[in-house]
Amino acid sequence: MTMTHDAPKAGSQVGRSVPRLEGRDKVTGRAEYTHTMRLPGMLTCKLFRSTVAHGRIKSIDTSEAKKVPGVFAVVTIDDVMKVIPDPYYGPAFHDQPILAHEKVRFVGEPVAAVLAMDPHVAEEAAQLIVAEYEELPAVYDEVDALTTKTYVHDVLKPAGTFADLKHLKDARDTNTALDYRLRKGDVDKAFAQAAHVFEHEFKTQKVLHLPFEPHASIADYKDTGVTVYTASQGPSFVRTEIARLLGWPENKVRIKVPYLGSGYGAKLYIKLEALVVALSMIARRPVKLALTFEELFYQITKHPSTFRIKSGIDKDGKIIARKCEVFWNGGAYADIGPRVTQKSGLTASGPYEIDNVWIDSYALYTNVTPAGALRGFGVPQLVWAYESHSDMIARALKLDPVEFRRKNLLREGRPHATNTIIKDAAVEKVMDHVLDRMNWSKPFDKSTGVVKRGRGFGISIKAVITPTTSVAIVNVSGDGSVTLYCGTIDMGQGSDTAMAQMVGEVLNVPTETVRVVPRDTDVTPYDMGTLGSRSLFHMGHAVQRAAADARDKLKALAREVGEPEGSNIPVRDLFVKKYGMQAGNVIGTGIFKPDYIPPAPGTGLSENVTAFWMVSGAGAEVEVDTETGHVKITKLVNVVDVGKAINPRIVETQISGAALMQLGFTMFEKMHIDGGQVTNASLADYKIPGFHDVPTVMDNSHVDTNQANGPFGAKGVGEVATFCVSPAIANAIDDAVGVRLTELPLNPESVYRAIRAKAGKPLEDE
Amino acid sequence: MTPFELAEPTKLADAVKLLDPDDPTVRPIAGGTALMLMMKAGVFRPAKLISLRGIESKYSGIAASGGGLRVGAMTTLNALERSADVKKLAPLITRTMLTLSNVRVRNVATVGGALAHGDPHMDLPPVLMALGAKLTVISPNGERSVALEDFFTGYYETVLEKNELIAEAHIPAQGAKRAAYMKVTTGSADDWPALGVAVVLDSDGKAIKSARVVVSAATTKATRVKSAEAVLAGKTVDDKLLAQAGDAAVEEAEFIADVRGSVPYKRELLRVYIKRAVRQALDGGAQ
Amino acid sequence: MMTAARTISFKLNGMPVTADVKPHHNVVEVLQSQFSLTGARETCGQGLCGCCTVVVNGRAVSGCLYLATFLDGTEVTTVEGLDTPQKLHSVQEAFIETSAFQCGYCTPGFVLMTTQLLDEHPDPDDEQIKHYLTGNLCRCATYPQVIEAVKLAAKKRKGS
Repeated sequence: MTMTHDAPKAGSQVGRSVPRLEGRDKVTGRAEYTHTMRLPGMLTCKLFRSTVAHGRIKSIDTSEAKKVPGVFAVVTIDDVMKVIPDPYYGPAFHDQPILAHEKVRFVGEPVAAVLAMDPHVAEEAAQLIVAEYEELPAVYDEVDALTTKTYVHDVLKPAGTFADLKHLKDARDTNTALDYRLRKGDVDKAFAQAAHVFEHEFKTQKVLHLPFEPHASIADYKDTGVTVYTASQGPSFVRTEIARLLGWPENKVRIKVPYLGSGYGAKLYIKLEALVVALSMIARRPVKLALTFEELFYQITKHPSTFRIKSGIDKDGKIIARKCEVFWNGGAYADIGPRVTQKSGLTASGPYEIDNVWIDSYALYTNVTPAGALRGFGVPQLVWAYESHSDMIARALKLDPVEFRRKNLLREGRPHATNTIIKDAAVEKVMDHVLDRMNWSKPFDKSTGVVKRGRGFGISIKAVITPTTSVAIVNVSGDGSVTLYCGTIDMGQGSDTAMAQMVGEVLNVPTETVRVVPRDTDVTPYDMGTLGSRSLFHMGHAVQRAAADARDKLKALAREVGEPEGSNIPVRDLFVKKYGMQAGNVIGTGIFKPDYIPPAPGTGLSENVTAFWMVSGAGAEVEVDTETGHVKITKLVNVVDVGKAINPRIVETQISGAALMQLGFTMFEKMHIDGGQVTNASLADYKIPGFHDVPTVMDNSHVDTNQANGPFGAKGVGEVATFCVSPAIANAIDDAVGVRLTELPLNPESVYRAIRAKAGKPLEDE
Repeated sequence: MTPFELAEPTKLADAVKLLDPDDPTVRPIAGGTALMLMMKAGVFRPAKLISLRGIESKYSGIAASGGGLRVGAMTTLNALERSADVKKLAPLITRTMLTLSNVRVRNVATVGGALAHGDPHMDLPPVLMALGAKLTVISPNGERSVALEDFFTGYYETVLEKNELIAEAHIPAQGAKRAAYMKVTTGSADDWPALGVAVVLDSDGKAIKSARVVVSAATTKATRVKSAEAVLAGKTVDDKLLAQAGDAAVEEAEFIADVRGSVPYKRELLRVYIKRAVRQALDGGAQ
Repeated sequence: MMTAARTISFKLNGMPVTADVKPHHNVVEVLQSQFSLTGARETCGQGLCGCCTVVVNGRAVSGCLYLATFLDGTEVTTVEGLDTPQKLHSVQEAFIETSAFQCGYCTPGFVLMTTQLLDEHPDPDDEQIKHYLTGNLCRCATYPQVIEAVKLAAKKRKGS
């Protein structure tokens, strides 16, 4: 049986660097994004936002705003509650009101919405709204949040989705939105037996995704159903949540997602969608809300964190105990913070085999912009700490940093801290590949001048969010052409191309001929979300199964119409034989959900905690200007274990892009917050990497491995190259100038201050 | 941005008449690259803008005159970058242009705008100040000449009255003087600078006859540091002298703290970069 | 004195057009709302990222910082003006072949700036590329791939 035109050889689709299917749309500027979409009769929304970090709303005066010619409506939560009586949403907790309700909990929280045809009119009117607040004490720091008597929420309202949050229902007098625990062995006893005990504290700063297409959603509400066009990484979840808010069945809610101007986690779960739906219900017209770049600073960020890590080492350099306390600064609303806390928390002890492990990981509410997942689901914050810690221990014990790690690395078949047995995680292979690309065994010139050189590396492991479900449909049309329906959002990671390659591989057609339909929940089946590097594995399985199902049905059709076994009749002719003309479809479906054992309550242990492991390593060479603290990264090596690469060029671009993004988080990116106010909410004052920040040499590669339970031996790559960049650079700085930084970013002033402090001549404060 | 009126006079003399000395919501707009930022951020909400794009073409030209350059205020930075006269008479400017903002801004922003905005982070003010530039400023009452070193009065503040406009800049030829402009960024490589240092040296080998040294970005305004110039004048450059010049400059300059660094740190940067800029100038900086 | 909307005329991708603009309208919103051209996009709103790049009278400008009224009498090229139904521009081809983008939101700006870069430097080295494109940012950080794309585009241009 031959599919369309020129049949490719089997095995020729997967593993090929197929140019991206959507390339032409993107380079011509014709790709459609929600942020630039318009509907006829559409109203534009501009928001009036809170200027205080924590306060009770005394009054909101919208009278002047309503007088501006051209204003259609000015909406507050009172108006919203007339159409949505319980206006709280969120994936983990139903804690976020559609507009501020009774209280405001962070500077920038939406308080009122102005609707107008002309966005300039809406903007002008929004500036005329006046709110009065009774200011309340606020909490900003994640460690303070654990003990303060200032509570961001009066009562906690778990969404009911996650079993490990149920005990927090109706909890009061707490800012803790999840307390994950892992208890393995007896750490106290092991610390008592250890030859050396090291304890360090590491911090990460507040940074954010800054997708170049800022969040945008348009709702078009009718009594018979609502359509939402949205820049979302998870249309299935949006549909479920909007349906819940409206008390509707899911089939009355349609979510459409065109191309995404990137996401990195910013557009997960529910963001602007509930608000635009409410506004469209009130206005009875389509309503669009598209954030400005500045407003991104009040939407979602990465979690700042404090990580206290303590390790006991025996006389041979073996880590025998590790205690991890991780505090995640979740901001005013939980968003997906509790999952970050748990799913990354369980790997806080690193890619090492340690018999006694104690982990506490806390999701904490504070009065700042909410935090969610950002390219790594919390793991970059952890690796920053544990791989800096690794080097500090090796340095203190005068052990070779390679040998110290090698002695402790997790290897195949050995138990991870969770008790899950390590499988298909090329930890040592990745490390060795990093060292090889770094020429680690060769002499290294550290220089004795003003500019000193150094090098460092790090190694990491991550568990994929488990368990999650993906569904796919493959449709073969009467002419033999193939269409794929899957909910994975291509936000730049190249998933459409990779999924089409899998379809092409199974059905023996060129990838370029496979159409991937735009995401539309009326059309594309369920997917848990495009997050955490899960799609290639989970959706990949579903797609592979759907394609195989279609292939099997085509074979059955061939038998039915009397074709002999092994016939190479073109598919079109098969349909003609069956239906007498070019007609009909063959539809294959595939569903995938991996096996999983939930962590045991109390111990957090599970023998099957993840569908697969991600592994990455990084190495950095730096030049440190000892007179100014400037760090130049002369070489950055990034190595990941992706199993088999479905599309090697896209894999390379993902590795490179992830590493450079993390380089910004490592070296200079930081939201400056003063009394709850963000003081650098613009691209002029919050800098991201540009051409001149790219290391002199970027060396990106993946090791040759096979993910035995993955589709075509593959697994995810999107986040993986972010993990080790920060500690590799910090370790290199220490190697160069003998100073250790424990707080990100590693900006010139921080490095310079550390150099001065080490020299016994600390630079005075402000 | 919220609505405003726009006037488009065709003569500079008419433009100054449209300005209102008492109304801060009326302002001139040239390239607009800086003003638009303030308008979009809502920091500045104009009632009326006076566009200078249509004024006489003589205000957007560069001419070699009297041993120096006469640069019309409406000259784009791109024209400055490409001018053969500028390259010949003031190569320090040409070299500065390469890393000044970006191509699109240089295509639109004007020399007059870059000076009148009074932003201490910009590159052109310290460079032109070190070269000894003077400005011709006009108002409905006539014109006056202001040395650039007397032009800036504070953070985004200049001596310009609300009904005054820069007509042109006069830049003495660099001649045999050696010069350098160095800027230091502490965020991404293309961030606004945390510090700028411009030096123009009349020197013979390592012997400095006279020096002009200007500090920017770390300070509230681009500032000539005369005490550092005095340290250098008549001396031969060595590490000790440069350290003294750095100390003098740090003593004189008024620093500001911001997201790009604390005051103590910027002081240290200035010490280091006075030294580096003088050395770079002597070692073949722009000449 | 102009206070309300006024009609301006200009050439847009080779076609004479008119638009009704108010003084506070910028180029990006007029292209999007009156011509349905969405290749120029407002991201940072500060002329720093380059997503809003358009070419006015042969010179690239930031459309988010450029008042639309100033387009009167000019010739404007947007990314949509580069290709024909038959053929992509060589710079566009080069970006596809080198996979020099991910999400694609900043790509039109990079493509337009690259055409300008190659007009000025037909055979650019890495430093020239970086300096010319330093005002274009890519949050997906495809900078190394963009440098490859520019070099490939230069080669294609010489070959054609």
